[in-house]
Amino acid sequence: MADLPGSSSWKEWLLNYSLYIILGVLIIIVVIYEPNFLSTRNLSNILAQASTRGILALGVAGMIVYTGTDLSAGRILGVSAAISASLLQSVTYASRMYPGITEPLPLVIPLLLAILAAIVFCLINAFGFAVLKMHPFIISLGTQLIAYGALCLYIDSQANGAQPLASLDPRYISAVNGSFDIGFMNLPYLVIYLAICSAFMWVIWNKTTLGKNMFAIGGNPEAAAVSGVNVTRNIFGVYFVAGILYGIAAFLEAGRVQSVTTATGLNYELDAISGCVIGGVSFTGGVGTIPGVLIGVIILQVINYSLYYLGVNAYYQYIIKGLIIILAVAIDVRKYIAKK
Amino acid sequence: MRPGKGRVMLFMCMLLAAMFVSTAAMAASPRIGILIYKYDDTYISTVRNALNKALDGKAQISMQDGKGDQATQNDQLDVMIERGMDGIIVNMVDAQAASGVVDKIKKAGIPVVFFNREPNLDVLKTYEKALFVGTNAADAGKMQGDIVKSIWDENKYDINKDGKFQYVMFKGEPDNPEAIARTDFSVSQAVLNGVKLEQIGETFVCNWDTALAQQAMESALAANEGKIELVIANNDSMAMGAIAALSNIGYNVEGGSKLIPVIGVDATDQAVDAINRGIMSGTVKQDGEAMGNAVSAIMLNMINGKAPLEGTGYKYDDSGIAVRIPYSPYVGK
Amino acid sequence: MIVENVSRPGPSESMPRLLEMRGMDKAFPGVKALDGVNLAVEAGTIHALMGENGAGKSTLMKCLFGIYKADAGEILVNGRPVSFSGPKDAMEGGVSMVHQELNQVLKRSVMENIWLGRFPKRFGFVSHKMMRDSTAAIFDELDIDVNPRALVGNLSVSQRQMVEIAKAVSYNTKILVLDEPTSSLTNEEVEHLFRIIGKLRSGGVGIVYISHRMEEILKISDEVTIMRDGRWIGTEPASGLTVDKIINMMVGRDLTHRFPPKTNAPGEELMAVRGLSGMYAPTCRDISFTLRRGEILGVAGLVGSRRTELLETIFGIARHSKGSIVKNGRPINNKNSSDAIRNGFAMLTEERRATGIFAGLDVMFNSVIANINSYKRYGFLSGHRMHGDTKWVIDSLKVKTPSQRTHIRNLSGGNQQKVIIGRWLLTKPDVLLLDEPTRGIDVGAKAEIYQLIINLAAEGKGIIVVSSEMPELLGISDRIMVMSDGRVAGMLDIADATQEEIMRLAAKYV
Repeated sequence: MADLPGSSSWKEWLLNYSLYIILGVLIIIVVIYEPNFLSTRNLSNILAQASTRGILALGVAGMIVYTGTDLSAGRILGVSAAISASLLQSVTYASRMYPGITEPLPLVIPLLLAILAAIVFCLINAFGFAVLKMHPFIISLGTQLIAYGALCLYIDSQANGAQPLASLDPRYISAVNGSFDIGFMNLPYLVIYLAICSAFMWVIWNKTTLGKNMFAIGGNPEAAAVSGVNVTRNIFGVYFVAGILYGIAAFLEAGRVQSVTTATGLNYELDAISGCVIGGVSFTGGVGTIPGVLIGVIILQVINYSLYYLGVNAYYQYIIKGLIIILAVAIDVRKYIAKK
Repeated sequence: MRPGKGRVMLFMCMLLAAMFVSTAAMAASPRIGILIYKYDDTYISTVRNALNKALDGKAQISMQDGKGDQATQNDQLDVMIERGMDGIIVNMVDAQAASGVVDKIKKAGIPVVFFNREPNLDVLKTYEKALFVGTNAADAGKMQGDIVKSIWDENKYDINKDGKFQYVMFKGEPDNPEAIARTDFSVSQAVLNGVKLEQIGETFVCNWDTALAQQAMESALAANEGKIELVIANNDSMAMGAIAALSNIGYNVEGGSKLIPVIGVDATDQAVDAINRGIMSGTVKQDGEAMGNAVSAIMLNMINGKAPLEGTGYKYDDSGIAVRIPYSPYVGK
Repeated sequence: MIVENVSRPGPSESMPRLLEMRGMDKAFPGVKALDGVNLAVEAGTIHALMGENGAGKSTLMKCLFGIYKADAGEILVNGRPVSFSGPKDAMEGGVSMVHQELNQVLKRSVMENIWLGRFPKRFGFVSHKMMRDSTAAIFDELDIDVNPRALVGNLSVSQRQMVEIAKAVSYNTKILVLDEPTSSLTNEEVEHLFRIIGKLRSGGVGIVYISHRMEEILKISDEVTIMRDGRWIGTEPASGLTVDKIINMMVGRDLTHRFPPKTNAPGEELMAVRGLSGMYAPTCRDISFTLRRGEILGVAGLVGSRRTELLETIFGIARHSKGSIVKNGRPINNKNSSDAIRNGFAMLTEERRATGIFAGLDVMFNSVIANINSYKRYGFLSGHRMHGDTKWVIDSLKVKTPSQRTHIRNLSGGNQQKVIIGRWLLTKPDVLLLDEPTRGIDVGAKAEIYQLIINLAAEGKGIIVVSSEMPELLGISDRIMVMSDGRVAGMLDIADATQEEIMRLAAKYV
């Protein structure tokens, strides 16, 4: 293809930058209706809202590279969010889950525990996939229920029975929801956290054996095994990293919403998976980039945000979102279709 | 570029265009953002309709569906504030998350009316332009307890003649305050009225959902057929599920001889119809229309700088910032 | 061309040889794949390994790389006995192979494919710079012009092959096996490849070169080892060989009794193919032939002569760019396989496991699936009639299966093949396209399949058989069409066909 001159090269250009073109077209459409849409405030809102989903998507993306998926990401996030929220309820709140905590804990302890819990669930998934040779779809379908059950039990174990975990420590809330001004715009901390996680994942994917081998396994498992790649170890590694990201996302999400219930995390994995897929992480495996995942998540959030912004009827929102996802992926797969 | 792609794009643009034309605005009227916890909730839908009707022509409204997810609702609130709404009406997904919502609205300095799901009123008191319109969650349960008493007095449903009602309980959600209040007060009020009650099995938590309640009822009947004498449900949807399960095995059929009393809350059209047909025993009407009218009147008053309750006929309760729309029992024409 | 004292393989008195395989035996159920085979390769030489398909070349190589465990024999590298556990182990021991079907991660870059499994690192992180530099150094040394950062999937076959060679070099390989490296290359690419191989040879690498192309082998090899039927036939210096001599050594076998008597008789013309070419290269080009009722037309050719593509193009799985097919005097156009089935074609695919059987499903499903629409009654499938037809398949084709409900994966290869032939017969075809119908089937079952093919022809069906086993084609065909590089190289009547003639034609355009 590459050697054909003329028309095919701009076709290729269109294909390669299709995601950015879609994003651009979306924004132009919105601006036509609401010229005020282009404000730094809207920009920082969109990025902040995309942050926790984005971090979750960064974790799920690795599993999609393996031609797998993770249906349990949302519920795992729920469990970890409940852990961080319960440990960081305001110590003056009478019906807090742990009345024994009378001095505020350092934020890092609940963060680490949230990460730990997420890692445990991710390793169950990894075990099912790598050792029991189950399809990730199936194993995570099971894990998802286990995580939901654990979440309900945990929330129900409070002295007054099941009630939302709220009244969070103000330090926690401001550490998550705070922001600072740089020059012309106000930058929420959430955006910084997303940036840090993205940089971390970019290094993992591009600069470590773990990431390189992950792509090899996703692209051609036989070639990878013949080249001496330890497939099982690699899978555990990738799921471990995903666990870290889920934990961080959960910690931030609890602080962002400021209340955790049994419904927290429900269907978050679908947004994360859609983001990855829009961003060109292929379900056929072995393909994907961190900037792609970020763009995918941001496109999704721009769709959400602008549909709210334009006040589109809620039911049409679903239809439009569905159409845009199909369109984005339909264009994206053109890159890889082989002809016979 | 394939020809198909261009066409799809064009279609999408047209679709978007078609939708926005309908939302085009009248300039002078105030703009009100309305956040609903979930569109497909029967009771909330009656309130939505009432709000739409009451505000029609008086304000330009933008309504969003929180889809049962507080995080989504927070995102929607960000957008509403950014769009410069003159006032916000909120039906919280998770009432405990209200402090974050109040903080955001406070920064924008616009009035807010919460309704239905009750936040901690102390949180609302931190902002002078915040009010709550709700019901007294306990009242619905108490009225269910009163209905239990009147059924008991008919003296024909104590199948095993042990002087007690053996009942099963359907609860909406584990951690929802209304569900907790209805569950607790329905029983305590009946006991207070002198009816002896004995629960069969665990409380079924069925997410306010008909299908789940039907499943649960089917298994309860399989395990305890003949022992269940009464069904109490936190809402009518679950009550309908229980009735469906009962009718499958010959109970609660219109004109049939065997009836196990089923009590719900909400007085949905379907439940009222069931009561009129004699296959359901009672419900508690949460007056969605009155709720919608009250919320919209209060919101408009606040935007126009009048006293919030002016001309509404309602009074604040003890808290001084909450209005309670009364319930009423419904047991048939 | 440097040819030094070439001697028959055997224990060397002085210097140990670079690679020596002695007395290799390997048996599979029903087949003796290797029978006392010897191979000796000197450092700095190119050693051609020749033989017909099925002669045991790839089995021998699989034993070398530890993919198969030989029943007897020893392998020495530089005089020391070795036993590799697999390709990776062999590579680290200085023995590598470039396969005909390249096994690469297409969606990753060239350098990542080369360094996969042992990425160079600095401070714990994969260093792209080191990876790029060392790749570029190898490419410079071998005169390979490929960007180390390019995606492997975007390279030509020739470039991908070079990447594999470079990978072997990066492992400091001492022995490099090339399996049919030129089968899909252009002439210039072949020249380039030979230059690279020449460089490796002068660097002291011993090269085992597997190919069917006689001229090529005579041009570049130092020594030639010839195998036939799993046995070592001889090792000669290339300078003393001619094409005819090689063919004699490769073929030199009696064609015997393995084939049932031919009871079919070709009748009037059934189908005519005119100037048929595939759409996406590499594929078949400008193919014309006729097929008569009751005729078995054999199609011979080397690997890469695009015989499978021809069948796929006729059947409509692959698109055609020009040409026409006339059947029963009526022009037809198979745009997809359902058109083909409706037009009375049936096709048995080459890769039985991948594209033929539904391994996890039962014999009945596998029998009726191509014909499923005819079992509909009022929109539902009639179980009774499906059972009946499955029973017909099992009985008339003598399928050995415990029941119709047995999963087909539990049947032997021959029985699986019979079920699939049965599947197609249920669609009542009059043209059968059979691609390697006896591949991977043991000798006894082969005879049954031959009988079946002849019987079908005797019933008046036209049959096209693609096979790489020449004796098979000679044993059952009425005519043999020889393809070479996607074109028809010749059409032989069975009376005039000999293996020598077929081989000569097969190499006509390569």
